Amino acid sequence: MTSLISLKQITKSFQSMRALDGIDLEVRAGITGLLGANGAGKSTLIKLLLGLVQPTSGTASFLGFDVRKQGRQIRSRIGYMPEDDCYISGLSGVNAVQFSGCLSGIPKTEALRRAHEILDFCDMKQERYRMVDTYSTGMRQKIKFASAIVHDPEFLILDEPTSGLDPEERETLLKRINLLASQMGKSVLISTHILPDVQAICDDVVILAQGKVRLCEPLVNLNRTTAPSFCVRALENIDQLAMALEKDNVEVIKNPDGTLTVASQSSELPEIIWNAAFQSGVSIQSLIPARNSLEEVFLSTVTDSPSTEENT
Amino acid sequence: MPIHDVGYRRLKNENNSSLFRWLAICRIGVQLALKSKWVKRLMLSAWLPVTYWAAGFFLVEKAIIADQLSAMGEGSSFDQFSMLALTESMTNRFWIFPGVNDLQEVFQTGDIPEIRNTAWRWMLMTFFRYPQAIIILFLVGFIAPSLISQDIRSRALLLYFSRPISRFEYIWGKLCVPSIFIILVTTLPALCLYIIALLMSPDISTLPQTWDIPVRIIIATFGLVLPTSAVALMLSSLTQETRFANFSWFAIWGLGHGAWLTIALATSLQMGRPLFDPAVMQSDIVTNWSAISLYNSLGSLQSYIFGFSTFAESWRGIISLFGITAFSMTILYRRVSSPV
Repeated sequence: MTSLISLKQITKSFQSMRALDGIDLEVRAGITGLLGANGAGKSTLIKLLLGLVQPTSGTASFLGFDVRKQGRQIRSRIGYMPEDDCYISGLSGVNAVQFSGCLSGIPKTEALRRAHEILDFCDMKQERYRMVDTYSTGMRQKIKFASAIVHDPEFLILDEPTSGLDPEERETLLKRINLLASQMGKSVLISTHILPDVQAICDDVVILAQGKVRLCEPLVNLNRTTAPSFCVRALENIDQLAMALEKDNVEVIKNPDGTLTVASQSSELPEIIWNAAFQSGVSIQSLIPARNSLEEVFLSTVTDSPSTEENT
Repeated sequence: MPIHDVGYRRLKNENNSSLFRWLAICRIGVQLALKSKWVKRLMLSAWLPVTYWAAGFFLVEKAIIADQLSAMGEGSSFDQFSMLALTESMTNRFWIFPGVNDLQEVFQTGDIPEIRNTAWRWMLMTFFRYPQAIIILFLVGFIAPSLISQDIRSRALLLYFSRPISRFEYIWGKLCVPSIFIILVTTLPALCLYIIALLMSPDISTLPQTWDIPVRIIIATFGLVLPTSAVALMLSSLTQETRFANFSWFAIWGLGHGAWLTIALATSLQMGRPLFDPAVMQSDIVTNWSAISLYNSLGSLQSYIFGFSTFAESWRGIISLFGITAFSMTILYRRVSSPV
């Protein structure tokens, strides 16, 4: 599959500080989560992709266009939802979305029609006629999202799209993003700190740390554990089950939620667990294959980075 | 919920030409500026001087007709409007205005086309230089300071520059906002006055006699629009607090003109003459320092464009305005180009 974003040895320095340090990255179509701690270089990478900052060295192409020279062509094909609380003061919600459409080249009347259509899609009701200045954080997030998609871009860059949203709105927004990707064929790059968002909708994950790409993998691969392992939930006496399993030489980890993660190189692990349950007289409520949590992957990737080790 | 929700659909329509995207920025700027009641009031009051100047054109045309009738040996009921009476009246009333002497000399020649052209030019120059310049000072002071400072304050620059909009288009779109208002209160009324004067004149032969006047009006508009808009937007780009930009705008005009007036006052005291006496105004020190006032510089440029001063007399003001515009545009571009 061809890459939509292709970065080769990209470096971006601000005076003595290196925000991006020799990045090599290929991003394919689909939904990609961009993860990283504060100061990892996520925002710089996004601005570089938008053509708002020029790389110090290296080559970068986005949707087949050179980031250095063809920023305008790139920006006409993408929708960007900034993290910052940015808006044009004095405009109503619908006018703000219409204005975004006009800036992308949609004629004024068509932009107004499209703004209403997109605000309907974003479930923005009569509040669309209120001044953006008076909106809550959640409503401003909706307006920013609507402004990002009003011109029907090929690629969406969403910077912290769910921050400030209540759980219900967050879930709805994630569904909308998923719909745009699955039904409309749009590719999405989501920069976020909220790992469950990435877990919920992303196909690929990129983790940045200290200005370097530490990991770029499909999410499925990250969730796969190295050794066969299972998550066991028992109706009662989970400690007895754990003791019985330990006697069978399998690795057992007690989880805070009262479950056990059981791992072994043996291919007969399910049988071992069922036998241990039978011998200890414990009834198993559920037995499901365990998977790596994204949080663990993220923490291990970030803490394994050389600079972090040097600092610690 | 909407009655009919179509969900998300592909956009099929063709986009506008990328050459006119700045128009969206300009349009929204004008729309937001017109929300202010003060701007609307100023816009209305800016048209009031037109009636006074229209009366001036009426008097000039009456004086010309009265002189033509008396030259033909016919008595006229317009004798009190004769050229001589008008000249005396204008010299007494407007002796402080530049170009009055030129007007007086031309009136004495008896060359009607030349008199008409000079009188019309002089009246339009004073229209630009006095009432409209003051109104522009307040109008631009209300409109321009918020144009970029608000964008910086609400971080809207990222909204603009994440779209296919260049820095130049952004600046151009913003520059057009005060420019449109300036045109609406100077160029448009000036052209209306010209048309009124044409209608008051005896026949269509006045058109070839005065064809240069609309051209001068348009050039004078450029001379007015560029420096004022550039300075106001530069100030707006330097801060995210609109009130600081407002204050700086009025301070630049007030302090510059105040400093020049102080120099003129000191000179008048030294010479023992009234402040606006021609001897004081034409003294070396007062003319050399007149360019520190933005108002004086614009006045010099207007006088030059309307043909009431030579380049040798106006170069200080012209160079000063050119320098101010270039400096302001450079700062503005650098501020807008800084990383968002």
